[in-house]
Amino acid sequence: MLLEIVGVGALVFGLFFCAVGVLGVIRMPDSLTRLHASGKVATLGLFGLLVGAAILMPSIFFKILALGLFVLLTSPVATHAIAAAEYRRTEIVEELVEMEAAEDELDTTAVDISGFLSRSRIQDIIEAQQRVLHLSAEDRENGDG
Amino acid sequence: MIESAFVQTAIRLILLGLVSLLIPASWRVIVGATLPDRLQAVDLITTLLIGIIVMLALVEGTQGFVDMAIALAAFAFVGTISIARYISEGRVF
Repeated sequence: MLLEIVGVGALVFGLFFCAVGVLGVIRMPDSLTRLHASGKVATLGLFGLLVGAAILMPSIFFKILALGLFVLLTSPVATHAIAAAEYRRTEIVEELVEMEAAEDELDTTAVDISGFLSRSRIQDIIEAQQRVLHLSAEDRENGDG
Repeated sequence: MIESAFVQTAIRLILLGLVSLLIPASWRVIVGATLPDRLQAVDLITTLLIGIIVMLALVEGTQGFVDMAIALAAFAFVGTISIARYISEGRVF
């Protein structure tokens, strides 16, 4: 009877952390914070459920152990892969926005480029233009020489 | 098979709770602002499904469900890694 109460307690612990993780995935404002919330489901929530199952039904202990070890190893790797994908995606989006800003800058300053712009400012604009035209660093050096 | 009525009722209630958690998670799949959000919600749903399958093994008292859970965990890992790589690199391999 005591063992049953402990097992059901572990199950309730796992269900609680699953609920908290899903709540975080719904309510969190940012993509990375949502990822932080959903990581709890995979480790604490699922691990609580597995411990409860192993206590309540000792005949499946070794299968539960294998499943628990596998989830404990792979779930942080998957979460890290999603986080890296999110980081890389935002990087690409920021780069695109920067390139569009550089294009706008070219359009507005093309008229009065000779008069009062400093040398470094002109250099910046030339670099932005070359970045827009997808020139690599070697091409730029060859063009100057 | 577990005979105790207390444990059976508790397992069924927890199973109901886990299944009802699937609804908000799939809401995030549909609404999710970006592609990594959707991928993360799908990963969350697979994790919940593993828990549901283990609970089913407790309800039925059969060992075979746990094998299903292990296979689902393996496939979910491979799928998540490959889709995350597709998002970041633009290609899988």
